[in-house]
Amino acid sequence: MTSRLTRLGFSLLILLSANVSLADVVLVVSAKSPVHILTRNELADIYLGRNSRFPNGQPAVPVDQRESSADYVAFYRHYLGQTPAQIKMHWSRLIFTGRGQPPRSLPSSRAVADFVAEHAQAIGYLDDAYLDERLRRVSIE
Amino acid sequence: MSEPTPHAETMESNAGRRWLLRVLDPGVLFPGLAVLTLTAVWLITFNLVDREYRTADRRLAALVSDMAQTYEAQAVRALREIDTTLKLVRYSLDARPPQEVLDELSRRDMLPPTLLFEVRISDAEGHGIASTHDLYSTRKTSRITEQSGLVVELEGEAATGADQSLVFSRRLAEEAQVSGTVSVIVNPAYFVSGYDMNTMGVQGVLALVGDGGISLVRRTGENVHTGEATEYERLLSDSSLVGEPAGLSVSEWDGLERYLVARALFEFPIAIVVGLSRAEQMAATNATRRAYYWRALLVSLISIAVLTLLGRLSRKLRLIQAKALEERLEHARRAEHLAFHDTLTGLPNRAHFSHLLTHGMQHAGRYDKRLALLFLDLDRFKAINDSLGHDAGDELLKEVSQRLIRSVRKSDRVARLGGDEFVVLLPEIEAADQINRVAEKILAAVSAPFLLAGQEFHITVSIGVAQYPSDGEDEQTLMKHADVAMYHAKEEGKNNAQFYSEELKSGSLERLTLEQSLRRALERKEFLLYYQSKVDMATGRIIGMEALLRWQHPELDLLLPHQFIPLAEENGLIVPIGRWVIYTACQQNVAWQQAGLPALSMAVNVSARQFLDDSLLRDIKGALATTGMSPQLLEVEITEGAMMVDMPRAVSVLQQLRKIGVRIAIDDFGTGFSALSRLQAFPLDTIKIDGSFIHDLPGSSADRSLADAIIDLGRCLGLTVVAEGVESAEQVDYLRRHSCDQVQGYYMHEPQPACDAVHAIQKNLISEP
Repeated sequence: MTSRLTRLGFSLLILLSANVSLADVVLVVSAKSPVHILTRNELADIYLGRNSRFPNGQPAVPVDQRESSADYVAFYRHYLGQTPAQIKMHWSRLIFTGRGQPPRSLPSSRAVADFVAEHAQAIGYLDDAYLDERLRRVSIE
Repeated sequence: MSEPTPHAETMESNAGRRWLLRVLDPGVLFPGLAVLTLTAVWLITFNLVDREYRTADRRLAALVSDMAQTYEAQAVRALREIDTTLKLVRYSLDARPPQEVLDELSRRDMLPPTLLFEVRISDAEGHGIASTHDLYSTRKTSRITEQSGLVVELEGEAATGADQSLVFSRRLAEEAQVSGTVSVIVNPAYFVSGYDMNTMGVQGVLALVGDGGISLVRRTGENVHTGEATEYERLLSDSSLVGEPAGLSVSEWDGLERYLVARALFEFPIAIVVGLSRAEQMAATNATRRAYYWRALLVSLISIAVLTLLGRLSRKLRLIQAKALEERLEHARRAEHLAFHDTLTGLPNRAHFSHLLTHGMQHAGRYDKRLALLFLDLDRFKAINDSLGHDAGDELLKEVSQRLIRSVRKSDRVARLGGDEFVVLLPEIEAADQINRVAEKILAAVSAPFLLAGQEFHITVSIGVAQYPSDGEDEQTLMKHADVAMYHAKEEGKNNAQFYSEELKSGSLERLTLEQSLRRALERKEFLLYYQSKVDMATGRIIGMEALLRWQHPELDLLLPHQFIPLAEENGLIVPIGRWVIYTACQQNVAWQQAGLPALSMAVNVSARQFLDDSLLRDIKGALATTGMSPQLLEVEITEGAMMVDMPRAVSVLQQLRKIGVRIAIDDFGTGFSALSRLQAFPLDTIKIDGSFIHDLPGSSADRSLADAIIDLGRCLGLTVVAEGVESAEQVDYLRRHSCDQVQGYYMHEPQPACDAVHAIQKNLISEP
């Protein structure tokens, strides 16, 4: 029983990582940022407005891509396990009740790359094709 | 005895106690307690439920009111933000292309988040010319020309609802570079995103309603509706004022009853609606109510069960107590009955009778009536008791008491003073012969045969009568006098009734002295024997002597047996006296033989009591052994009556006497009532004809025939016939002619002391036949 469950878990993990690699969306910070690694929960907290700081205490400024972009969908689905509708509803509630603002929305991966490169506190996601030396990829545990 | 009367109590305390007793009765107490308990339990339960309901009601009304305020504030702020954006864009538009302006504003973070809000600029025709979003996907915005303020519209297909958007528009200023409108487009769900499933449930409501009567958006649970027709005015007029608890109303769109607040927003053509479903929100309260009811039901059932159990136990306990009380009362009643009644016969005892007599005398005294006291003593009862045993004696006493009761009227009282003494109280005497009638009835009733242990017995009673007030005016005197009269009856031959008279009194004094001296007579050797000869009719020789008891009383004259034997029989002294008689007679007989006289027979009289006494045989054997007298010479004389008391025993005693060799004579024959047929059952040797039959011989023909018959009978049975009380030569002649065997009487010899008797014998020996 246990072994079967474990096996199922493994296959799911493999499938998930395969999807992530297929989407080619990567999480990035500025090369100047000290952040190297984040847990999935820490990432979700930052992107859903529950926490505005990195685990090391520095302010975090998340940036989004357009809601209609493939990167947006891929990011929320694979990193936060949420659909765009859910994200929209989430922010609707926060904005309407005056408890938060969604991340700044940038029109493209390039815009994200530029913004993150310029801001040490920023964090964003982009197509790995836009990775360059100004950026550092953040690992997710 | 009068019953002890309870102390009188006041009516009031009696009534109070009765009431208390009734309440404390388990049949009332426990149902009462059950009713009280159930009433209390259910009152409390209903009260609690009611309070719970009202609390919930207040809480919900207040909650909805609070939620409405919050929602109102949130909606106003959201709308202001949108309006501010519209104004900002309108203001920012300049010579540049509108898209450039929008991009600029967006870059500067001056527009609301694009995630939710689209900012669009349309030309006068309604075609989009700039947008924060993809322009190709935008539909045509409706043209607004007339209005100058904020316009709110639903855009999109009304049918699908979910795809509709809310469009907030302002017209661009006339002087602006571009004519047209600026709009902020947002998903209607944005305005109801504050809907919290946790607090509002699936039936709550959050809505924005436009003043045109179209609901802009309404959310209930997860469902968001847009574009519904709504009676705007009614909705607002039904609603409560600001700060007041929400009222209940039935929602037109789904028919649910809700705590609802609808309020028009300040400066916007929009009203907010907040509501909570009563049924849904009250579910918890209903559950609580059900829990209360179940609990109350459980408590009720337990109470009923416990009280029923207690009631049962209490009832049982009370029954046990009542039983115990009843037993105690019964015991007390029995004890009282025992104290005042004779245990054997159930008749009143001496103490009770004393009371009855006193009471009767008082009553008679008061109404000037006469009262009679009958003192009864059974004749020869002691003999029967001694011979048959006490059980038989007791049986006899019981039977006698029954017969006495049957012999008197209901109003007359019968009591047993003890032993064989009974008294009958006749409380009202109307005629003198009434007493006689009662006495006769009693005599007849008692003398009827008894059947004891399958055998027939006869007993008689002696009755003494004393009357109030003539014979005594107090209890003691009356009792004493009745007693005296009774003794007189005994002296008069028993089985009769005697009335008290003054003359009897002296006699009774004599009797009293007699009884006292009788007890000492044996020790003082005051008894002596006289002897009377029996002469053989054929030879004229003395062939035997009969020993006759005399008592040389120190103060009185020589007393004859009939003067003291009844007394000795009564008090039992007859047994030692009889023993003395037998011994002395035997001794005398032997002495005479030793003195050279011929061997004469010696007859000894045995009384009824003595005859039935166990010591008789022993005494006779002892006397014979001590004196060495030949048993054949001893003759025991027993009266007919004594033998009839207990026939089987009499037969047995006589047979044993016969075995020793002692002869047996039946004394006073003809005076008893013995059936001739029974005579044969007795082992007899001699019949002695009673002197009363001889007395009138030969003159009386009746006595002649009787004497003849007895002589014939004796001869037929092969018995020796002896005539007693022979007083004349004619009588001797007559008897000789009729073949009587022996004669005895004054004509031959009177009873005389031993010394004189010796002379008579010697004279008779010498004389010629």
